[in-house]
Amino acid sequence: MPAPLRVVIVGGGTAGWMCAAALVGAVRPGVCEVRLVESDEIGIVGVGEATLPQIKEFNEYIGVIEADFMRKTNATFKLGIEFVDWGFKGSSYIHPFGVHGKPMGGVPFYQYWTKARQGGRTDDIEDFCLPIVASRLNRFDFPTTDEGGINSTFAYAYHFDANLYAGFLREFSEARGLRRTEGKVVDVTLRAQDGHIAAITLNSGEVIEGDLFIDCSGFRSLLMGKALEVGYEDWTPWLPCDRALAVPCERTGPLTPYTRSTAREAGWQWRIPLQHRTGNGYVYSSRFISDDEAAATLLANLDGAALDDPRPLRFQAGRREKSWHRNCVAVGLASGFLEPLESTSIYLIQIAITNLLKLMPARTIDPALVEEFNRLVDVEYERVRDFLILHYHANIRDDAPLWTYCREMDVPESLRRRMRLFQHRGHIHKYGQGLFAPPSWLSVFVGQGLRPAHYDPLVDNLPYERIVAEMDALRDSVALAARSMSDHAAFVDDYCASPAAVRLREGVAS
Amino acid sequence: MPSLPTPPARIRDIVIVGGGTAGWMAAAALSKVMGTQAYTITLVESELIGTVGVGEATIPMITMFNSVLGIDENEFVRETNATFKLGIEFAGWRREGHSYFHPFGQFGVDMDGINFNHYWLRWMQAGGGTDHGRFNAETEAARQGKFGRTGDGRPTGLPNINYAFQFDASLYAAYLRRYAEKRGARRTEGQVVKVERNGQSGLIESLLLKDGQTIRGDLFIDCSGFRGLLIEETLKAGYEDWSHWLPVNRAAAVPCAKVEDPVPYTRATAREAGWQWRIPLQHRTGNGYVFCDQFISEDEAARLLMTRLDGAPLAEPRILRFVTGRRRKSWIGNCVALGLASGFMEPLESTSIHLVQVGISKLLAMFPKGGFNPLITDRYNAEMEADYVNIRDFLIAHYKITEREDTPFWRYCKSMSIPDSLATRLEIFRTRGEAMVVHHELFKEQSWFAVLVGQGLTPVDHHPVADLLSEDELKLRLAKVRTSIQDRVNGLPGHQQFIDKNCRSAAG
Amino acid sequence: MSRPIRSVAVVGRDVPAWLTALALQRAFGRQGVSVTVVELPSALRAVDAVIALPALEGLHRLLGLDESEVLAACSGVYALGQQFANWSRSRPPFVHAYDSQGAALRQVPFLHHWLKARAEGLNVALEDFSLGAAAAKHGRFIVHNDATDSFSKARNGYHLDAQSYVRLLRQKAMAAGAQRVAGTLDRVARTPTGVASVTLNGGASIAADLFVDASGPDAVLAGRALEVPFESWSSWFPCDRILAASGPRLKPLPAMSRISAFGAGWMGMFPLQDRTPVVAAYDSRRISDEEMARTASVLAGMALGDAVVSPLAVGCRAAPWTGNCVAIGEAATCLEPLDAAPLHMIHLGISHLITLFPVDADNLLEAQPYNEAVLSHARNLRDFQIAHYRLNQRLDESFWDGARAAEPPPGLAYKLDLFAARGAVALYEDETFQEENWISILIGHGLIPRGHDPQADAMPREEQIQSFQRMLGFIAGEVREMPSIEAQLELFAPPPSSASF
Repeated sequence: MPAPLRVVIVGGGTAGWMCAAALVGAVRPGVCEVRLVESDEIGIVGVGEATLPQIKEFNEYIGVIEADFMRKTNATFKLGIEFVDWGFKGSSYIHPFGVHGKPMGGVPFYQYWTKARQGGRTDDIEDFCLPIVASRLNRFDFPTTDEGGINSTFAYAYHFDANLYAGFLREFSEARGLRRTEGKVVDVTLRAQDGHIAAITLNSGEVIEGDLFIDCSGFRSLLMGKALEVGYEDWTPWLPCDRALAVPCERTGPLTPYTRSTAREAGWQWRIPLQHRTGNGYVYSSRFISDDEAAATLLANLDGAALDDPRPLRFQAGRREKSWHRNCVAVGLASGFLEPLESTSIYLIQIAITNLLKLMPARTIDPALVEEFNRLVDVEYERVRDFLILHYHANIRDDAPLWTYCREMDVPESLRRRMRLFQHRGHIHKYGQGLFAPPSWLSVFVGQGLRPAHYDPLVDNLPYERIVAEMDALRDSVALAARSMSDHAAFVDDYCASPAAVRLREGVAS
Repeated sequence: MPSLPTPPARIRDIVIVGGGTAGWMAAAALSKVMGTQAYTITLVESELIGTVGVGEATIPMITMFNSVLGIDENEFVRETNATFKLGIEFAGWRREGHSYFHPFGQFGVDMDGINFNHYWLRWMQAGGGTDHGRFNAETEAARQGKFGRTGDGRPTGLPNINYAFQFDASLYAAYLRRYAEKRGARRTEGQVVKVERNGQSGLIESLLLKDGQTIRGDLFIDCSGFRGLLIEETLKAGYEDWSHWLPVNRAAAVPCAKVEDPVPYTRATAREAGWQWRIPLQHRTGNGYVFCDQFISEDEAARLLMTRLDGAPLAEPRILRFVTGRRRKSWIGNCVALGLASGFMEPLESTSIHLVQVGISKLLAMFPKGGFNPLITDRYNAEMEADYVNIRDFLIAHYKITEREDTPFWRYCKSMSIPDSLATRLEIFRTRGEAMVVHHELFKEQSWFAVLVGQGLTPVDHHPVADLLSEDELKLRLAKVRTSIQDRVNGLPGHQQFIDKNCRSAAG
Repeated sequence: MSRPIRSVAVVGRDVPAWLTALALQRAFGRQGVSVTVVELPSALRAVDAVIALPALEGLHRLLGLDESEVLAACSGVYALGQQFANWSRSRPPFVHAYDSQGAALRQVPFLHHWLKARAEGLNVALEDFSLGAAAAKHGRFIVHNDATDSFSKARNGYHLDAQSYVRLLRQKAMAAGAQRVAGTLDRVARTPTGVASVTLNGGASIAADLFVDASGPDAVLAGRALEVPFESWSSWFPCDRILAASGPRLKPLPAMSRISAFGAGWMGMFPLQDRTPVVAAYDSRRISDEEMARTASVLAGMALGDAVVSPLAVGCRAAPWTGNCVAIGEAATCLEPLDAAPLHMIHLGISHLITLFPVDADNLLEAQPYNEAVLSHARNLRDFQIAHYRLNQRLDESFWDGARAAEPPPGLAYKLDLFAARGAVALYEDETFQEENWISILIGHGLIPRGHDPQADAMPREEQIQSFQRMLGFIAGEVREMPSIEAQLELFAPPPSSASF
C-alpha cells in the first residue's frame, strides 16, 4: 500500500469535524492520516442549526447511531420549514420534506389541484401533504418504507446544537484515530515550484506538513482566501443580507417539528426548536436596517425569555471562486456563504465531503480531480443560490424597501426561465443532479403566491369528478395519518431525551 | 392341495429350443447369471429353420440387459451394425401429413411434485405453443439428427439423453451366441422330432432330434417361434387372440440401401391397411409393411412396399404371418416360453425384444432350485400377462385415436370397441392430461402423453398445482427448460459423427 | 385569452410519424385533440431494422403495446447490448452491455478495485464482472431475482423489423383514433412564425394548430419550409453513407448487436428472428458502394441480399421546435445508427413533447425548454458516439487516424481527460448513458485511467481476490439459470421445425 495521504484540517466547527469524521469513519484505515487543528479561542459560529434529510445518509455513512447523536446534540426532528410573511404579509406556507399529494396518470398532483382551483375549489394544497399537516399539529413519526403507503411519502431531518454536533463528531473521530491539535495558525508555507501548501505553522511554533489541506477556518478562509488568494464571487446584489444576530431563548409552547422563517422588514428571522431551548436569529441587510433596530426587532419577537445577549455576525453572500485549488479544499464558510434560509449550510459541507471522497487524490494531486470537484460543487452552489433568490424575488410586499428591491432586481436567467415556465403551465424541470427537487420549488412558488395560468393538458384525461373524489380521499387519508402520529415532544422525549432536556423537564415538574 | 410329483434332486440341465434373438438372449443371460459350473446350458437350433430376424429396434431397457451381461456397448454396436435410437416418429397416424414423435426420456422437469406435462398443458390450453417436443431433449436431438451419451456422472444440470438401439437382429443373435458359447453354453445343431414327457409328472424329460440324438433336460425354454413346439404343440397352453383389437396379421420385410446418414430414430408410417417401419442401421435400412390381409393382399402389400423405399432394395420382400395375441400361459410345468413362442404383438413400439428380456429376467428372479412350485409358475404367468396386456392397450391406442377415415382399415380401427381398462384411461387423460400409470407398467406417463397427444387426444384441463405459478413465472420456467434442452442438444455431435468416432462397424 | 391546441398534424413517415401519432393520440386524443398523420411515402426498405434501448419498453407500456405482441409481429429479438470488434487491432472485442460492472466494495466503486488489481497483474476483463455482459455473450434473457437486483441493472433492449414495427404502430395509432392522409407533399403554407397548412399533390390540404415534422432528413417543415439551420457534426463523423442489407438468420441467436470496424467505416449486425440485418456506415470517398456491399458480406461472413444505400449527414437542427412546428427524429437530430441512438432520440423527442405539450397555441413558451432538453440529450448521445471514433486504435489507417485526431467537443474532451486521469465519469444533465455505460466503452476501447481511487489500495489483496471470485462465480451461476433469448422468444413466436415432426 502506498504511503497514506496526509490530510490537515484547519478549523473545527461542523465543517471541520464533519470532514474529520468522514475521513476517519468512512475511509479505510491507512488511506489517510488525518489531523485537525482548531483553536478553542476562536468562537465557532455554531448556533441552533437546521438540516436537510441528506444528513441522515452522512450519519449512516460514517456509522453514527441516530438516537445517540440526537441525545448528545439536543436534537429535535424537522419535517420542513414554515415561511411566514414571505411573498406577502399574512402568508404562511411550509416547504416540506415530502410531496404534495401523489401523481395520477404520471402527472404531478399539483397540476390536478390547479385545475380544481380554476374550477372553483378552494383546497389548500398543504392539506394534501402529510409532513405539512403533521407539522401544523406538532406531530412526528418515522416514515415507513413500504412504498405506496402514505406514511412513506416524507423524509425528515434534524434541528440540533451545532456546537454539540461538532463535539459529538469530535468524540467520534478521536476514537477512530484522528489527531487533534489545539492551536492557531499563524503562518502558511507554500511550495515554490507549484504554489501548493507545504505546511502550516501554529502559534505554538509547531509546523504541520500535509499533502492535502482542508480549509474549515470559516469566513476568514485562512488558507484558500488568504494564503492562496482565491477570489470571492459576490452574490450580494441578489442576496442583500449581510448581517445576523443570534440569540437563544427559553423553550416555550409545543415543540414544533419544523423550522420557522419569518420575513421581516429588512430580512428574516429564524426559529429553531431544540430540546432544551429555542435558537433564534435575525438575518438582515445592513443597507435596510441598523444593527440596533435589528436587535430590537429580534428581541421583541421571541416566544420565550432570551437566555443570552444577541451575538452579531457579519458575512458576505457569495462563494470562493473555487472550492478546491491546488492542494487546498475549502469546506463550509471558508468556501462560501449562503444564508441558512433553506438549511443548506451543512448540506453544502456534506456535498464537498462526498465529492472529495469520490475524487480522493493520491499524494500527487491530479488537476483533473480538482476541476471535476469544482464543477460538481459549482452546480450545487448555483442551484441553492437560485432557490434562495426565488424566496426574495417572488414577493408582492410594498411595506419595506428591501422587498421592493428584491422584487425589482435582475435575477439569473436560469431562475427567470423557471419562474416563467411555472407561471405559464406549472412545469418544474427536475435536475439530474443536486437540489432542489420539484416539490420544493412548488411549495415556494405556491406559498409565495405564484399560480400557473394553465395546467398540464394530460390532466384533462381524468374526469373532473374523479379528480375531485381522489383529492377528497387523499385529504382525508393525510389528515388521518397525521392525527395518528405521535406528539413530537413526547416522541423526542421517549426516543432521545438529552440530559439537558431531562433536567429541564424535571426542573419544570418540580 | 395336490402333492407334487417327486422332483429331481436339483435342476441342473437347461435346454433351450430354438435360436434367434430369444434363444440366444436366454442362453447368454443364463450363462452369465446361473453360469455353467452348476448348470449345463444347451441350445438346440436348426440352421434350416430360418430365423425371423430383420432390422429391429429396441427400447432403453435393453441397456440394462447389456449391463447385466457386462457387454461393452461400443463393441456390441459395432458387431451388430447398430445405430442409436431416440424414439419413434409416427407419420400419418393422426392424419395424413401429420407427424409426431414418441421419445424416450421425459418432457421438461417435474416441478413442485407434479409432472411437467401439466405446466405445458396449462400453457398450451391458454393459447401458448402446441409443440411439446421442444421441451424434450430426445425429440430435439432427433429433429437435428444428433446423438451423444450423456450419463457420465458429472452433474451438469442439463437433461440426459435416453436411448436404445436399432440393430440387425441376426447379428445380435450371433453376437450373443458367441458370448454364451464363450461362457460354456453348448449349441447343438438339429431339429426336434419328438418331445418325451414323464408319464406321471407330465414334465418334459427329453427331446429327440432328427439325427437320433436325445437331449435330456430339467428345465426347458421354448424359443421355437410361433409354433410353440413345447408350450403349445406339447403342453397345449392355448392362445388368446387379440386380432379384433390389433387386426394386423402379416408383415412384408425388405432391406434397402442406405442413401444418407442414418437418423437416430425409427419411423412408423401409417398406410392404407397397416403401417410401414423404417429402421436405419449403419450399413443399410430395414423396412417392413405390417398389414392386415383382410384389407390388402400379400402381393399388393409387398408391391406397395417396394415402391416406398428410399434406397434400392437389397433382397426380395419376405412375408411373415402371425396372429396377434399371447399364449394363455408362458410357463407350464418345467417349460417356459419366450419370444414368439409366448406371444406376438406387432413391433409398433419395439417391444418384442423387451418382452424376451422381461421373460428372462422374471425367470431368473423366480429361478427354480429343485421343484416347480405352481405358486411361482402362476405368479410368473400373471406378471407376463399384465405386461402383455399393458403393451397391448398402448398399441391399441395408436389405432383407436385416429382422425383417419380414408380407408376401410382405418374406419375399422377408429370405430372398433376397445378394452374397458383402456377406455377409462383415455377418458381420464382427456379430462386432465394424466394416464394414471402404475409402477410396474412398461410405458410411463411421458409415453402415454407423447402418443395420446400426438394422436390428437388433447387434454382439456390439467393438475391444479400447475395453476399456482404466476404467468410470468410459468413462462420463465418453460423458457429455462427449453434453454437447458437447447444447451444440451447444441453440445451433441451429429449421429453419424458419433458413430464414426465410437463404434463404427466394419460394414457401416 | 389563450387558445388550446385542438389539432396536431404529424407530417412525415415511418417510425417517427407513427410512434409520435400513437403517443399523442393516446395522451390527448380523449380530450378531443385530433391527431392526423400526413403520411409521406415510406423511406424504409425490407432490410431495415430498428434498434432499441431497454427504455423503449417503458414507452411501449404507456402506449399499450405488449412486449410479446411487438416481438412476435416484428420478428423481434432481445438485445442486451452491443459488441464492438476491431476498433483496435490489438484489443479483443468488448461488449457494451446495458449494465454496470461489479459491485462497490467498502463503498469504493468497483472500477477502482479492478484498476488496482489489473495493475497488479489481474487478467480478467472488466466486462467479465458485468452480469449483463455475461448474459449477452451467452445469448441469455435477463431475469432478475433479489440477488441479481442488488448487483446488476441489466435490462433487455430489442431489435425489431422496421417495416413491421411501423405497420404495428400505424394500426395501433389508427385504432386509437389517429387519422391518416397519405400522399406526396406539394407545398407548405407558412405564417410569419410557423406553419399554417400543408398541401399534398392531389389537393388535400391539412391545417393544424401544431405540426410535427417527422419526415426524416428531408425535414420538409423544419428544414425546407421554416429554414431552421442544420448544424453539421460531420467534423467528428467521417462516414457519409449507410448501406443496409440482410443475411440469413443466425443460429444460435445472439443476444446483442455486433459492430465491427473496418478500413473505411464500421459494419453492424443486428439479428432478428428470421434474418440478420446488416448496416454499414462508411466514407464513400474511400470505398465505393459496390465494394462496400462486397466488404459487408465478407465481414458478416454471410451472403447478403438487397443492399440499399442512403446518405448520412450527422448533425442537428438549431431549434427542433420552431414556431408551431416540432421536429422529431432525423428531421431534428441525425446520429449514426450506433448505440441505439436514432430511435432513442425519437423516444426523447416524443416524451418531452408530451410533458411540454403546449397549453396556448398562441404562446408557445414550451419550445425553449423543449429545445434545450432535446439538444442537450442529442449532444450527449453524439459525444458517446464520437468517443468510439476518438478512442479507436487502428493505427496507420488514414480513415481511423483522421477520426482519432479530430478534436472532440469540449464536453467530451473533459470527460475523456477526467477518465484518463482517474477513472471518474463526469456526467452532465440530460444523459442517456450513465456512468456504467461510459465506463464500459472507455475501458473497452482501451482508455485505462492513469490513477485510481487510493481507497481501493487499502483493501487487502486476498480480500479483493475473494470478492472478485465471488462475483465471477455469482455471475456464472446466475447466467446458467437464465433462459436463452431463443427459448424466451419461442414462447411467443415458435419458429417452425425443419424436421417433419
